[in-house]
Amino acid sequence: MMKKICRFLSPLLIAALVLGSLPVAAAPSPAGGMITTQDALSAERAQSDRERIHTVLARDDVRDQLVAQGVDPAEVEARVAALSDAEAAQMADQLEELPAGASVVGALFAVFVILLVTDILGLTNVFPFTR
Amino acid sequence: MIDCPERQPTSDRNARPAGVLALVLMLLLLAGCASAPRLDDTTQQAVAPRVLLDDVPFHGQRDYQCGPASLAMTLQHDGVETDVDTLIPQVFTPGREGSVQPEMLATVRRHGRIPFVIEGRLDALLTELDAGHPVVVMQNLSLPAWPVWHYAVAIGYDLEAREMILHSGMEAQRVESFRPFDATWARSDRWAFVALSPGQLPATISPQAALQAIGDFEGVRGAEAALPAWEALSRRFPDHAMAHFALGNARHTAADLEGAISAFRDAVAADATLAPAWLNLGLALDSAERRDEALEALERAAALPGRWQERSHEALARVEGKSS
Repeated sequence: MMKKICRFLSPLLIAALVLGSLPVAAAPSPAGGMITTQDALSAERAQSDRERIHTVLARDDVRDQLVAQGVDPAEVEARVAALSDAEAAQMADQLEELPAGASVVGALFAVFVILLVTDILGLTNVFPFTR
Repeated sequence: MIDCPERQPTSDRNARPAGVLALVLMLLLLAGCASAPRLDDTTQQAVAPRVLLDDVPFHGQRDYQCGPASLAMTLQHDGVETDVDTLIPQVFTPGREGSVQPEMLATVRRHGRIPFVIEGRLDALLTELDAGHPVVVMQNLSLPAWPVWHYAVAIGYDLEAREMILHSGMEAQRVESFRPFDATWARSDRWAFVALSPGQLPATISPQAALQAIGDFEGVRGAEAALPAWEALSRRFPDHAMAHFALGNARHTAADLEGAISAFRDAVAADATLAPAWLNLGLALDSAERRDEALEALERAAALPGRWQERSHEALARVEGKSS
């Protein structure tokens, strides 16, 4: 019985998987066969097909990461959609390491002293009162 | 109190002065690295000696939220109706307690403005301010080992006093000398961008960087939104074939066939080896039912070796098949 179900199911599953992967494998062909500006620009940068697939997958990755970082799931879709391919790839690879503008000092006392000196020397600008 | 130094072995007696000396040397070295920024003579002559964009609204940041505050200031200055509370969920990442650079740019796109990352030089920054564009800058207020990343909006400068004027943190029109400003800005690799309406271009942008910025905007907002930007770019750089090519594509999407044809013609006039422009010119001419001209353009495309040659041959065969 199980074997019979499997025999029916596996061709269907294979077909579904193949069809599902097609939109990625086949490059989108714009109306009338015109070459889009984005295609021409990425060709200029010699972007390979593998990289293009990577950027498609990167968006899913960024989506998951943003949710994990506490971004409202209702906002995530629109945030990811507004990224360029290169930005999405950058976010997917290094969201943890990217500098995040926040400007709050959470430093230890030793660091405080060093920064105070460098602030007075005009190398840093952590403490407003050093001006 | 016991006088410590006298009770120490002789070998350690010089440790403290040596340490102090090392510290002083290290600080001198650091100070040497961060020499005062220099401006090109041409910039000094080209820009006004003093600029203050006092029509840029100020929003003081709340905890960690210099990113949304900086965006609100620049976007509102350019006429976008938005506020800090709308922008926080769009750009702030709670897990990182901050806003990352790619999302700062992406959020500008969501509000229908084009983010142009400008060249990381004080000259470029001052030239943009002189042109009336407020500039969002990223600074590391601290040292590389304990970064304190911060976004601020540069709104002016004073060449004689060598000072920048910024809306920064809780302080409107904060004055920072060029030297500490440049030292903190340099630690973000002098990252800075302007947010402009489609049709406006930065004063200092390279054609390549502008193509990328407008192309990314077009990818998010569509060709018709980007059309004025392509028009402006091809006017600014009439010799740049890709600018005309992109304009042709945007016009074609906006159903302006004759306009597209003329832009593609400008593209191949600027660079006769740009195969995509010949191919799109041929297809546009074919749509306009100008067969002979279409065939001529497609033949030029098919004769150029490279990535698009196969597609050009296919298009040529298709149009030839139709006309016979």
